[in-house]
Amino acid sequence: MAYQTFNRNTFDTFSQPMFFGEHVNVSRYDTQKYKIFEQLIEKQLSFFWRPEEVDLSTDRKDFANLPEHEKHIFLSNLKYQTLLDSIQGRSPNVALLPIVSLPELETWIETWSFSETIHSRSYTHIIRNVISDPAAVFDDIVTNEYITKRAESVTKYYDDLIEGVTYYQNLGEGQHEVNGEIIDINLRDLKRKLYLTVASVNVLEAIRFYVSFACSFAFAERATMEGNAKIIKLIARDEALHLTGTQHMLQIWAMGKDDPEMGEITKECREEVIQIFREAAEQEKEWAEYLFKDGSMIGLNKDILCQYVEYICNQRLTAIGLETIFPTKQNPLPWINAWLVSDNVQVAPQEAEISSYLVGAIDSALSLEDFSDIEL
Amino acid sequence: MLAMKDAPNSTEPDFHLEDDANDHQDFQLESPEVISTPDTDVPQGELFLPLDNPESPQDNQQLEIQGFEKPVYAVAVEGIEKPLAFHYASNLLESLEAQGVQLPYQCREGYCGGCRTDLIEGEVAYLQEPMAWINEGEILPCCCVPKTELKLKLKG
Repeated sequence: MAYQTFNRNTFDTFSQPMFFGEHVNVSRYDTQKYKIFEQLIEKQLSFFWRPEEVDLSTDRKDFANLPEHEKHIFLSNLKYQTLLDSIQGRSPNVALLPIVSLPELETWIETWSFSETIHSRSYTHIIRNVISDPAAVFDDIVTNEYITKRAESVTKYYDDLIEGVTYYQNLGEGQHEVNGEIIDINLRDLKRKLYLTVASVNVLEAIRFYVSFACSFAFAERATMEGNAKIIKLIARDEALHLTGTQHMLQIWAMGKDDPEMGEITKECREEVIQIFREAAEQEKEWAEYLFKDGSMIGLNKDILCQYVEYICNQRLTAIGLETIFPTKQNPLPWINAWLVSDNVQVAPQEAEISSYLVGAIDSALSLEDFSDIEL
Repeated sequence: MLAMKDAPNSTEPDFHLEDDANDHQDFQLESPEVISTPDTDVPQGELFLPLDNPESPQDNQQLEIQGFEKPVYAVAVEGIEKPLAFHYASNLLESLEAQGVQLPYQCREGYCGGCRTDLIEGEVAYLQEPMAWINEGEILPCCCVPKTELKLKLKG
């Protein structure tokens, strides 16, 4: 089952499952098995934005004026976001493209991953604008134990799947001796790894990202670091779409029509997926403790953020048909909705409702005298 | 200015960018004075929330068709005793919000699924095809209107 960049076999695309069927050959979108992925691609393309479009000059001043413990909160949060998007900017491509079997899904994965690279670029844009030594921030991402600890649980499913698929494509199913070790490769096990990977990506995009968004918006709620919030708002709009993408994959599998084995695996992995959610929630709470170790900020503290973790965790669990695991029912940060609302994200200042741009631009008051010098 | 900083102190400098060359400092990206922001510059998060009440008929843009009464559908939400109705709003989410019912939301156009709500009884029509995954028995209030009287149960 070595990977082929252009599969020469003739096969019926509609009979292929989403993953582990025939390798894709013609990238055609005239007929689609799941048109949702085509819709997601179109939506994502319509969202296109560039970080440089957002002006951050006031954020630089705002940042300089923040007290030390708030600088710690802001930078740590940004480091975490950088880590998450570094992972998401490449992993869906590396892990999922070699095994995908539908052209529209293949292109969705590429489009999805590409938009994550824009997010990564925007963190550089923010860091470069806000502090004078970006290297200090970036370097800390790989050495800071609070960040690397979570990187481990985010990436282990990806790495596991990538390793398994590599063996599968080189050696095929069965028992193999690799470097003196016996490894057992079977497709069912790989599908299980795939399921857990997508479930953990769902957790990453549905919970981890939102916890970091809450921190970014908490600054802007106090009218500071607003350029940053504007960028995060654009990122949140993209992430909502990516989340819909992974929810669709999980639910298509759950129905069992796409690949009956995946339907069974969904049932088998139920407890494990809930465990992934629970573990992520615990880690996010520990992270909240680290963020606020030197003090809280107005509008957000450790307890409120922890409640938000529980609330968002419950919400995402019900979205994929699982039961809630925390007692929290109310959103402890109701103002976050107003920041997450994305049907009105505006980038260019002339598009924003800034009245100074409109005042004097057009004088709509007319009188008859205005036409006095016009002759026919 | 930057070039002047490292230039040796010659008695006759070739050129002066500014009158007092000794008074230089590292360049600044921004002007020292804060550029004034317009008074109406409200925080972004509040900027776009509807100012008027979508359930109030005066501000509604909907086409009135002569000879037809605009139907009113009763909407019951579990746990809320106040009688609610859908009449003028452009979607169910706006209608509920206008009547004081808080729902989670994000995109408000059907792709995020944030406003997922259980539909216990009744039927809705979608104004646009929702992209978010909807489980059986769920609706997305942000992009649908009632076709009949509704009974809803909020998530959480």
